[in-house]
Amino acid sequence: MFTMLRRRAVSSVIPLLVVVLGVFFLARLTGDPANLYLPLSATPEMREEFAARNGLDQPLITQFGDYLVQVAHLDFGESLRTAQSASDAVLRAFPATLQLAGWTMLLAIVGAVVIGSLAAYRPNSATDRVASFLSSTAASVPDFWFAIMGVLIFAVTLSWLPTSGTNGAAAWVLPVATLLIRPFGVLVQVVRGAMVSALSAPYVKVARSKGARESRVVFGHALRNAAAPALTVAGDLAVGLVNGAVVVETIFGWPGIGKLMIDSVLQRDFAVLQAAVLLTALVIFALNILVDICHAILDPRVRQRAAA
Amino acid sequence: MLQKNVQKNDAQQSGVPKNTDNAKDSDPSSGTDPVPVSARRKWLALLLQDRFACAAALILLAVALCAVLGPLLIGDLATRQNLRDPNREPFSLDHGWAFVLGSDSLGRPVAARLITAAGTTLSVAVPAVLCSLVVGSVWGMWAGYHGGWRENVSLRIADVILSFPSLLLAVVVLYVFSPSAANIVLVLAVARIPVYLRTARAESAELRSRLFMDAARTFGTSSWATIRRHVAPTVLPTLLTVAALDFCFVMLTESSLSFLGIGIQPPDVSWGLMVAQGRQELQSAWWIAVFPGLAIVITTVSATVLAAWARLSTDPGQRWRHGLRRGGRRLGRRRPAAGGTGAGRRPAVEPHLAVAGTEVASDPTVSGTEVAPDPTVSGTEIEPATVAAETGSETTTAVAGTDTETTTAVAGTSAETTTAPAGTETEPTPLAGTGSELPPPLAGTDIDPAQAPAGAGAEPATALAGTIAEPTPSLAGTGIEPAPADSPTRADTLAVDGLSVDIRTAAGPVPVVRGVSFAVRSGETLALLGESGCGKSMTAHAVAGLLDPAAEVVGGQARLDGDDLLALGARARRRLAGPGLSIVFQDALSALNPVHTVGAQLAEPFRIHERMSRRAARARAVELMERVGIPEARSRANAYPHQFSGGMRQRLLIAMAVALQPKVLLADEPTTALDVTVQAQIMDLLRELRSEQQMALVLITHDLGLVAEHADRVAVMYAGTVVETGPVAEVFGKPNHPYTRGLLESVPAEQRKGSRLNSIPGSPPDPRSMPSGCAFRMRCPMARELCATHRPTLAGTGTDRAAACHFGKELADA
Repeated sequence: MFTMLRRRAVSSVIPLLVVVLGVFFLARLTGDPANLYLPLSATPEMREEFAARNGLDQPLITQFGDYLVQVAHLDFGESLRTAQSASDAVLRAFPATLQLAGWTMLLAIVGAVVIGSLAAYRPNSATDRVASFLSSTAASVPDFWFAIMGVLIFAVTLSWLPTSGTNGAAAWVLPVATLLIRPFGVLVQVVRGAMVSALSAPYVKVARSKGARESRVVFGHALRNAAAPALTVAGDLAVGLVNGAVVVETIFGWPGIGKLMIDSVLQRDFAVLQAAVLLTALVIFALNILVDICHAILDPRVRQRAAA
Repeated sequence: MLQKNVQKNDAQQSGVPKNTDNAKDSDPSSGTDPVPVSARRKWLALLLQDRFACAAALILLAVALCAVLGPLLIGDLATRQNLRDPNREPFSLDHGWAFVLGSDSLGRPVAARLITAAGTTLSVAVPAVLCSLVVGSVWGMWAGYHGGWRENVSLRIADVILSFPSLLLAVVVLYVFSPSAANIVLVLAVARIPVYLRTARAESAELRSRLFMDAARTFGTSSWATIRRHVAPTVLPTLLTVAALDFCFVMLTESSLSFLGIGIQPPDVSWGLMVAQGRQELQSAWWIAVFPGLAIVITTVSATVLAAWARLSTDPGQRWRHGLRRGGRRLGRRRPAAGGTGAGRRPAVEPHLAVAGTEVASDPTVSGTEVAPDPTVSGTEIEPATVAAETGSETTTAVAGTDTETTTAVAGTSAETTTAPAGTETEPTPLAGTGSELPPPLAGTDIDPAQAPAGAGAEPATALAGTIAEPTPSLAGTGIEPAPADSPTRADTLAVDGLSVDIRTAAGPVPVVRGVSFAVRSGETLALLGESGCGKSMTAHAVAGLLDPAAEVVGGQARLDGDDLLALGARARRRLAGPGLSIVFQDALSALNPVHTVGAQLAEPFRIHERMSRRAARARAVELMERVGIPEARSRANAYPHQFSGGMRQRLLIAMAVALQPKVLLADEPTTALDVTVQAQIMDLLRELRSEQQMALVLITHDLGLVAEHADRVAVMYAGTVVETGPVAEVFGKPNHPYTRGLLESVPAEQRKGSRLNSIPGSPPDPRSMPSGCAFRMRCPMARELCATHRPTLAGTGTDRAAACHFGKELADA
C-alpha cells in the first residue's frame, strides 16, 4: 500500500512540474502586464521601474528559477492587482470551490449509484430506458445554458432562488445543480454499464443460488465489483469540476478558485494564476491518490498488486 | 524454412484475426478494407431497428446540411441588423420564416443565426475531433504495441495533459494566441489527444499479449504493418465510439469558451455566443438564449445516442439486448404450459415422473441389486460402475480383466463394496497421467473423451459396454424382481417435467430447451450429458432459477419434493435456494466474488438461512473449508479467491453449495476448467458429499468418462431435448438412440485398438432454424423419410429406459 503511494507520488512529480512550467511560460506570453496596470501615458522609465519591481525585467529562465526558489519557500509572490500575497488570495477562494465541488460529487455519486443500479437491474426495462435517456441528456446539456435557464425560471420568473451570492441554502441550489448535471449524467451511465456486467457475472448467480435477497445481491455482491470503473470515472469527473467551476462561478458570482483563475488570466495577474494552478494541480494529485486508495480498499487484487 | 513461409502466408491471408471471445473483429465497419455492401446493409438494417438511433442520425444529418447549405440559403441574413425592430417575439411568420424564432436585441433573426452557427460549430468540432482521433489513436496503438518506455512516456504525457483542466488550458492558450477558430481547433485537439491515446493503448496492449500477435512478430512483420493489419481493425470500433462521445465534449467546450468570450468572436456566430448575448436580455427576451441552448442540447444528445447505439452494435456481448422486449422476466410468472409443450410432450414412458409422491422404485435394474442408498447405511459408497458390475458376478471380473491399467479404481471399489458392504468407504485414487496417453479430442463433436478422468473413465465405459452387451438377458432377469424393503421411501427428490426455455431475440423467441424431463432421487447421481450448446446448462439454470434476463421458462415444471420450483414466488424460491437446491458452477474463479474473503462467502448461506451471528457463521465456514480439504482453513478463510489455486477454488465453490445440505445439488460442468488429477479429486469430493448428505446429484457434463464413472443414470441431451435416458450401464452398454451410439463410438477403446475412430459427421443444428422432424436426422446414419416429417418423442425402449428415435426399438433389438 505504502509502496504504491510512494510510487504514485514519485511518478506525479514530473506532471506537476510540467504543469507549473507550462503555466509560467504561457502566462508570460499573454502580454505585458504593464499595459494593464500603468496608465497609457506611462513613460518608458515608469514601465522599467514597474518591470523591475515585479521582477519582469529578468530573462524568462531567471524568472522561472527565482519563482521555483520562492515556491520552495512557500512564497507565491504578490498579486499585481491587490498587492496581497497570492497564496492568501488563493487560499481564501479555495474553500468556496471545495465546498461546492464536495457537495456536487457527493450528490452525483449517491444519485448515480441509486439510479444506475436501478437501471441496470432490469436492462432495457422502462426504468432503464428513461434513466439512460435522461442521463445522456444531462451529460449533454451545456452547463452555462443550464445555469441561465435556472436563473430564468427560478430566479427571474418564479423568484424562488437568488441569482447570485453565497448566503443561505437557497443560494447553493442553482450552482450545485449546474455543476452536478454533467458528472451526474456521466456517472449514471458508467454505474449502469458496470452494474449490468457485474449483475450478469457468475458470482451474482452464485449469490442468488445461496438464497440472498436481491438487495444483498445488488449492493453486497455486484455494486462493490462495479465500483472500480465508476470510481475511476468519478475521479476524472472531479478533475473536470474545475472546468465547471470556472463557468458556474462566473455566472453566479461565486467567490471560488475558478473565478479567481479566469480573472487573473484576464488581469495578467501572474502570481495569483500560478498559485491557483499549482494548488489545483496539487488537489488533483491528492484526488488521484484518494482514488487509488479507494481502489485498494474496494478490490483485494489491487491491494496485492500494490504490495508486489 | 519452407514451412515457415507457408505459415506466414497463412497468417497474412487470415487478415483480421478471428478470436471468438472478442468478436469485435468481425465488425464490418472496422478495418481498412472496403466494407462489403451486404455488411453495410446489415448496419443500416440495425440502425433502422432502433427508432432512437434513427432519429439521432436524422438530426445530425440535418445539422450537417444546415452547416453546408446554410450560407447558400440565407446569405448575410444572420448578421443583418435591424435596430428599429429588436427583440421580436418568436412563433410568428409575419416577417418571414427567418424570424420564426424571434429576433435579438439588434433585430437579427434568431432562426437564421442558429443555422449559420451550426456551420461554425461543426467547422470547429469536426476538425478538432478528427485531429485528436488520428493523432491520439496512432500514437496510442504504437505505444501499446511496443510497450516498455514508449508506453510509459506516452502515458505520462497523457497524464500531464489530462491533469490540467481543459477549459483552463484553452483559456490560457487562447489568450496567448488570439481566439480564432483555427486556434480553438488546435487547443481542443491537443486537449483531447490523451483520451484516444489511452483507449488505443489499452486495447492494443491487450492485443499484444495475444498469440496471433506473437505469431506476426515471429514472422518478422514490421511493427507498423502489424499495427495496421492486426491492431487497427480491432481497436477502431471502440475509438469511433469514443470519438462520437468526444464530439459532444468538444462542442460543449467550444460553446463554453464562446460563452466566456474567448471562443468564437463576433461577427461570427456560435451557439455559445448566442447564449451569452441572450443572457443580457434574459428578462425581456428569453428566446434569444433558449433556442441556441436547445440546439446544443439536441445535437449533443443525438451524438450521444448514436454513440451508444454504435457501442451496442459493435459489442457482441451487448448485442442481444437489441432483441429484448420491454419488461423484465419475473420468477414464477410464466405462460401456462400449452398442451404441446407440457403434458403432450411428456415422454410416453418415464416412470420416474408418473407418480411424484408414492412411487415404487421403478428402477429395478439398479435398485434390485443396489445395496447402499438405504439411509441407514450412510457413508457407504456405491459407484454406478460398481452397481453395473455387480449385477452379474461374472461381469465384475470382466471389467477388471479387460482394462487392468485404467479400471483399477473401478475394480477396486467394486471389490470393496461386495466384500465390505457396510460402513467403511475406500476412495479410489485416480490415476495421474493417464489422460496424456489418450489421443487428442475428436473433430466433429464437442464431447471430449480425452477429458480426465477420461483416462480412468472413458475406458471403463466402453469396457462396460463390451461386457454388458452379453449378459443382458440375465440383467433383465434380475431387474424384474421388485425392489425390496427400501422402495416405498424412495421418491424422486427432483422431478423436471416438460421444461422448455426460450431465448428472446430480435427475430423472436428461440427455443433452446424443448420439453426436457428427468428425475433424480436422493443419493443418486443423474448425468445430463450433451455437447456444448445442447441446452444442458440452460436446463440447470432454469431449474435453479438463475436464467439470464434474455431467457425465459415457457413451460414445464421442476418439482422439488413435490413443490414446483418454477411456480414459486421469489421469497419462497429464495428460502429453498441453499437448503433445497444448490448449484456448483463451472468456472470457480468467476463464480467466487473477487472482492469478498472466501470466509465471508462461505459464511453467507448460514447468515442468510440460519440467521447466525457473524462469528458463528464464520466458524461454520472454517469447518466447511476443512471438510472439503482446504489446508490451514482458519487462516485461509481470510484470503481472497484469487489467492487460491483452481482446484481449491472449486472445492470452495462446492463447500458453499453443500453448506446447508441441499436435497439436490446441480453440478454444472464442475471439473471442466481443471486439470486431470484435480478433476478426479473434485469428483471424489462430490461423491463423498453426495453419500454423506444423501443428496441427489445432477451432474451436467460433456464428458462420457465422468458419466460412466460417477453417474447412476444418464439423460443424453441433443439440441435442447433429452434423446435417451436410462441407467448408465445400460445406455452405454446398448444405446437405443443413434446419437448416443455415435458418441460412444467416438470414444477410443482398448478393444477397437487399431481400428478407425468414428466421429459423428456434421454439427448440431442451429436452434434458430431447427430442421423439421427429428433434430438429429441430418447427422443420423439411420435417417429415413419418417424422420423428416415426424418428430420422435421419448418412448420407452425397455425397462426404465427411453429413447426419442423412431427406430429405437430396431436399434435396441439389433
